[in-house]
Amino acid sequence: MTRSAALAVSPPGRILMAAVSGVGALGLLWPFLVAAHGATSSTAPLVLTMLTAVVVGLCGVELTRGTMDARGIAVLGILAACGTALRIPSPGVAGIEPVFFLLVLAGRVFGPGFGFSLGGITLLTSALVTGGVGPWLPFQMLAAGWVGLGAGLLPRAEGGREVGLLAGYAALACVAYGTVMNLWFWPTVAGSSTSISYVPGAGPLENLAHFVAFDLTTSMGFDLPRAMVNAMLIVVVGRPILVALRRAAKRTRLIAAPPDLEVAEAS
Amino acid sequence: MISFDRVSFRYAEAWILRDLDIVVADGELLVVVGPTGSGKSTLLKMVNGLVPHFSGGDLAGEVTVAGRSVVGSSPVDLADLIGYVGQDPRSSFVAETVEEEIAYGMENLGVAPAVMRRRVEDALDLMSLHEVRTRSVRTLSGGQQQRVAIAAVLASAPSILILDEPTSALDPGAAEEVLSSLTRLVHDVGLTVVIAEHRLERVLPFADRVLLLDGEGGATVGEPGRIMASSPLAPPLIDLGRLAEWDPLPVTVRQARRSAGALSALLADERPAPAPLQDGRNVASVTNLTVAYDGLRALDRVSLSFAAGTVTAIMGRNGSGKSTLLGAMAGLLAPTAGAAEVSGQAPRSMDAKDRICLVGLVPQDPGALLYAQEVGDECRVADLEHHLDPGTTAGVLGNLGGEIDPHRHPKDLSEGQRLTLALGVVLAPRPLVVLLDEPTRGLDYGAKRLLCHQIRTLCDQGAAVVVASHDVEMVAMVSDRVVVLAGGEVIADGETRDVVCHTPAFAPQVAKVLSPQTWLTVDEVAAALGAIEP
Amino acid sequence: MTLDTRPHAVAWWLWSTGLAVAALRTSNPLFLLLLGAIIGLVAVGRLRGAEARRTMRGFLLLAAIVVGLRLALQVLVGQRLPGHVIVGFPSISLPTWAQGVSLGGPVTIESLLVALVAGLRLAVVLVAFGAANALSSARELLRSLPPVAHEAAVAVTVALSFVPELFGSVARIREARLLRGRPSSGFAAIRGITVPVLEDALERSVHLAASMGSRGFGRRSPTPPVSRVVITVSSALLGAILLLLGGYGSLAGSSPLLVPLGSAVLGVLLLGASTLMSGRRSVRTRYRPAPFGQRSLACAVSGWVPLLIIAVFGAVDPAAISWGPSPLAWPTLPPVLLVMTLVAMVPLLVAPTPPGVGRRSRVLEATT
Repeated sequence: MTRSAALAVSPPGRILMAAVSGVGALGLLWPFLVAAHGATSSTAPLVLTMLTAVVVGLCGVELTRGTMDARGIAVLGILAACGTALRIPSPGVAGIEPVFFLLVLAGRVFGPGFGFSLGGITLLTSALVTGGVGPWLPFQMLAAGWVGLGAGLLPRAEGGREVGLLAGYAALACVAYGTVMNLWFWPTVAGSSTSISYVPGAGPLENLAHFVAFDLTTSMGFDLPRAMVNAMLIVVVGRPILVALRRAAKRTRLIAAPPDLEVAEAS
Repeated sequence: MISFDRVSFRYAEAWILRDLDIVVADGELLVVVGPTGSGKSTLLKMVNGLVPHFSGGDLAGEVTVAGRSVVGSSPVDLADLIGYVGQDPRSSFVAETVEEEIAYGMENLGVAPAVMRRRVEDALDLMSLHEVRTRSVRTLSGGQQQRVAIAAVLASAPSILILDEPTSALDPGAAEEVLSSLTRLVHDVGLTVVIAEHRLERVLPFADRVLLLDGEGGATVGEPGRIMASSPLAPPLIDLGRLAEWDPLPVTVRQARRSAGALSALLADERPAPAPLQDGRNVASVTNLTVAYDGLRALDRVSLSFAAGTVTAIMGRNGSGKSTLLGAMAGLLAPTAGAAEVSGQAPRSMDAKDRICLVGLVPQDPGALLYAQEVGDECRVADLEHHLDPGTTAGVLGNLGGEIDPHRHPKDLSEGQRLTLALGVVLAPRPLVVLLDEPTRGLDYGAKRLLCHQIRTLCDQGAAVVVASHDVEMVAMVSDRVVVLAGGEVIADGETRDVVCHTPAFAPQVAKVLSPQTWLTVDEVAAALGAIEP
Repeated sequence: MTLDTRPHAVAWWLWSTGLAVAALRTSNPLFLLLLGAIIGLVAVGRLRGAEARRTMRGFLLLAAIVVGLRLALQVLVGQRLPGHVIVGFPSISLPTWAQGVSLGGPVTIESLLVALVAGLRLAVVLVAFGAANALSSARELLRSLPPVAHEAAVAVTVALSFVPELFGSVARIREARLLRGRPSSGFAAIRGITVPVLEDALERSVHLAASMGSRGFGRRSPTPPVSRVVITVSSALLGAILLLLGGYGSLAGSSPLLVPLGSAVLGVLLLGASTLMSGRRSVRTRYRPAPFGQRSLACAVSGWVPLLIIAVFGAVDPAAISWGPSPLAWPTLPPVLLVMTLVAMVPLLVAPTPPGVGRRSRVLEATT
């Protein structure tokens, strides 16, 4: 099953995806990589958040306008609405967020570029709907985009093995998402004066230990249930949803159907 | 204006259209008719390029519109020339408010802002949408949404307008309005309009020419009278004309009345066969039923009872409470006051499993009832859930007719087949009361006749059938009794003939032609004529 | 300058961003409280609708939680600065693998105050975001985006419009399940509801795509030549590299800060340029866009005045801007500073009062 040109990512788009991933990673991992001084440790997150936001915006623009036509945008918007509706009952507070299972399944069917865009647009829309556009949003969009991207890059598998593969990936991705958001959260909230904070000038291992302690104390309680819920949802409804997504993709020729498969249109 | 040059098309293996050679002239109103599955929608989408660019398939031949090749361009390029209104206006909205929706097409085409303002006002005037101009499109009624969809397309000032079943969601009054606005545009502005429609009785009076698809891939084009004379699908008017051998065949009620003098005289002393005596007991009733929500009284102190072995039609404008009545009787809605009861019990308080053996409802969208990936699975699951012997549902489905392949995906079935499948699932537990909500949407005449046959069989088996519909022809064919609702209240209740023949809005074509005599269907007239001739 | 009747959505965001940046540049708790109060008063005075109020309340709650969390963390695992001890918790030592983490220990006023100030800073930022969310309309923001971002904006608009439809769809499917005698809630219903709702949604996306395409979505001028594509890609690449290097450099604190920061900004500009150049130009126009006029400008600019004040006072009277717990003394706020910062309340003048607030003309009411 080959994907049509409508879903391929243009070269500038790929560069932008890499750039935004790079600057986003920088914005998250800087406490370990960089020996910063105290003066910049308050402006650094701010600067990087703004830069990330701008580049996320550029990336979103490029991915959607370059090659996606009306079909891709319509499916993207509607799937983003589904993801948003899944987030509304539990907007990150309880941490359950069943949106990821849909993201993984859609990324699997439509490809890494689409998955990346879907992650970003879903988080953006849900922020707009719940009225919660905060400084965390660019990183949430990026992290969700990574989840969708990864799902599109998974190896080929069929039937039950595919469902198992996707469920395992979803569980890992949920924990990774939680860790990524903690990476953002950590220097901002823990500041620099607690013993589990980032310490400017200290070595990476020490900061890593601080971060792990922070992660464990604050978010494992959310990450593990989220991973379990999403993996379970894939196991329970993954198969029929994959079928439905593939049917829609074939009907709109976003995926080329094999010629003997008749997908009838109404008269 | 539009020309199809030896065009053939298929999605997969089977050719849907073969060697079509059609030319649509400038400023013409063409009506495309054909049985379900014959390719009407496909043909329409070929004009603006949605087929093959958005839906795939093999297109052989050449489609040219105003000199531009469709195969060589995409729908996006042709958007300034052709306006397309699809079957589901609700799904086609992009913007939030009515104004923005109307302006959307023009924004895409890069029209100057001052011109856009003017054209938006014109479109609002044309479709009578001033009062709702700032409202959200999601809050409008079905008829208003249809008008907004058409206005949005008209605002871009296309030369060609393609409409796929524009009146399916509308009641007769709203449908009349939309069609006459379109005709006015054709006459005043010289717009070329192509419409696909099942309910020919609404659209034939306005057509310049008719294109008939035969379902095998072929097509014939010509004057409405000429094409209808030999068409397997025809509105009751045409059937009457064929029966009475009128030549030329009338396509409007007015033309028919002119030719009907002799027939009227012949039938003057005949009376339609009386309905067989109904002595069934009441199996369902609503007493002083009031249902209110969101501050609106959908039903206001309605009292009705339904006897076994009868078919009752509930008619009324969209929003008059028809669906609410059925919902209350099926136990979906709780009465705010009063009661609904089936066989002595209140459906709302019954256990779901017991309820479906007493009352079954097929909603407006029958597809909502279907879950499985294959028709066969659907039947098997239905058997399991309702604790029936395996094969019961499949058997019921077979008896209903319609030749449904058990391996097809329910979403791939035609409208009529989906309705039949939903009916089969609902009827398998043999409920006493069967409720149908607007069953004829999207059905062609053949499927409608089959549905009427299915309903009458149910009746003969002793069920009480209640149908909510504004399809006057079907009501005339199948119902014994008609109840008319308006604003949640009953304003008429009686035998079909009495209620329907004297109200112009609900009168079937045969009654309008032969008025003041009260004939409902062509079959009645045929039976009477047969009785006259020795 | 064009006339507008109320501040544009973008103006509100500019205003609150300015105040948020100002909050990050000061550590005087009184000043922070002043900024927070300004934002709060403007928001409360000019919010429209229950939804906006709910948003504002949510962000205020979040701000309070952040302050509390910060204080709690300080008490539990804070670094023990020397100073006046308030409470002496026993110190719990952890095994060596959790190196450097200290649990418990004496809590000092100084450490609490440091935590409080940091928390307050974040709280003001959050309140600023809350006000921006509540005072501006997401749809207006989306419609104000430049034509190059149209596709992305449409995707978000479609998603926003479709979410309420989904809830309607869920209700319909649940009703249909009742008609089939199936449970409509609980575990067994998950599969039976999500799959049909999704199939329904995908069905509608097909119709939506047809409608969008037929109305000219994505209409453009012809494809650019290959050489342009090469330029686009290479400038994107260069921009990405500059951005990453600059970002890393500005974090590493290499002097002067301006060089790596400038490199990063230049990188972003290059990426932006390549995005604009790549692909084909859009030909879209806009129907009745909301004007960005005098009121919007006034609103936007007034939000950045506090930052300007901080920069000025930073040179003249640093004590007013940056305050520390040692030596322990009450923070001060010069009255001049207070008055000048009140300029940030200009939006109260330029934004119209929402309906239901303030007096209305009875005569006008009677005639409408």
